[in-house]
Amino acid sequence: MAADAARNTRILAVCGKGGVGKTSISAALVRGLLAGGSRKILAIDADPAVGLATALGMNVEKTLDDVRNSLIDRLESGAKEDRRDLVSLLDYEVFGALVESGGLAFLAIGRPETEGCYCQINDILKDIIGSIAGSFDYVVIDGEAGIEQVNRRVMETVTDLLLVSDASAKGLNVVRTIRDVSARLVEHGRAWLMLNRIRGAAELDRLALPDGMDLLGWVPEDENVRLTDIEGGSLLAMRPGPALEAVAACLPRLESAGTERSGQPLKMK
Amino acid sequence: MALFEKQFTEIRDFLKQREGTSAYREFVHAAPASWPSGMRRSVVLAQDMAVELGSPQEESSSCLIWHDDPARVRDGHITLIGPDIGESTGKGLPFGKVVLVSADGFNEENSYDRYRELDGVRYDLDLKGYMMRAVSQYQREWSRVSAEAVKDGFSFGVLGGSLIDALRRKEYVRAVEVIFVTASRGDVSGLVPIADGAMRIIGALNKMLQELEFDCDTCDNTDVCNDVAELRSMREKLMKKGETGHGR
Repeated sequence: MAADAARNTRILAVCGKGGVGKTSISAALVRGLLAGGSRKILAIDADPAVGLATALGMNVEKTLDDVRNSLIDRLESGAKEDRRDLVSLLDYEVFGALVESGGLAFLAIGRPETEGCYCQINDILKDIIGSIAGSFDYVVIDGEAGIEQVNRRVMETVTDLLLVSDASAKGLNVVRTIRDVSARLVEHGRAWLMLNRIRGAAELDRLALPDGMDLLGWVPEDENVRLTDIEGGSLLAMRPGPALEAVAACLPRLESAGTERSGQPLKMK
Repeated sequence: MALFEKQFTEIRDFLKQREGTSAYREFVHAAPASWPSGMRRSVVLAQDMAVELGSPQEESSSCLIWHDDPARVRDGHITLIGPDIGESTGKGLPFGKVVLVSADGFNEENSYDRYRELDGVRYDLDLKGYMMRAVSQYQREWSRVSAEAVKDGFSFGVLGGSLIDALRRKEYVRAVEVIFVTASRGDVSGLVPIADGAMRIIGALNKMLQELEFDCDTCDNTDVCNDVAELRSMREKLMKKGETGHGR
């Protein structure tokens, strides 16, 4: 069912080193996609810091971690559930954790899953998110910093990895690492490079970009974004500026690339 | 098999108390329901929604019970107490649903599995513009209907008819009746103890099949078994089979 549903869904995972602006890029992508008309968009904040909620002006009352923990408490207090009951209960609770605004639904993951006795719950939650995601036109996942989520196979069915870096060598090295790891783990899909807070074309020319990656675009430093971040404001409500325009300009290429290759989701090997 | 004799009687009493009021109406589902598939993309967001039924903020109750006597189930009948989907004045309504099934061949060994199969049918309904989330453990059902579906005529007649059609496809099902309640929180909460009672019997049935020991002194469900003669009879049959090595 999830596979059928996911057939036409573009799942964009935004990854990169901490501090390079993944959350702002994710929020700007959501804004650009919302501006594109009657689309259903699911934004998933997979960063435990839950920064995307603020960047989208969403008030989160319940995270996926809360859902998981309340079920674990229930099971530890003696409730016996078979798999179908667990699925329906978790599906109900996860849907209840979605925050909605117009064509946008938002889900915060909260604390990352812990390994151990609750693999079944974690697996079911992944299936449920996959199933819910399949009902949307676009899913934008703001990943946690670094490589861990790709390693843990959190992003199992993404169609597009958006690897974000600033101009720093450290940021670009993390992009290379994520690209290498994802190339080992991922069968289909596309990895894009997106550069953030670039001080003009001359700076871009000086950067040693990773080989073999499509540069989707670069986003200039933008005082509006910085001030919005400082104030804890929403990028959805921010007045247009060069950063938002640069992200919006990337979308046609991203979208047309999706239609060229039939939107096949990435599958982990 | 009359596991739910008490609940059937309570449901009939519930309906009788409301019959003749302006909120009460009945439909007969004659022809197979025809509604386009949702193509498994069933999320209805608030912005696209015409009505929300039994949300976590509202009263909600849902249960399915069965009886071996076809005369206890008015096959194809859909009863609605309260506004239909297209008549809702607000976006949120309390929601109660009772599905009555008459079926052949339920016994001590297959009853729980068949219950699961019948209960699972609602999850397989894939109707365009209709989204449903349900928790059997809490007997809650939460659904949304899109404005587009309402404009195209989606109603409890369509929903109930689709459910009846799907349940009738099970070879052991002889008759299906569906009751929807949207009139008020009070009306829906009138269904809650009935659904709770049914769920306790189903829980006892499951426990009986899962656990090989039948120690009534330590069992949480003794009161349920004491109330329901059919459960006691099933337990005795299972105990005998266990003693003779023909258990499950």
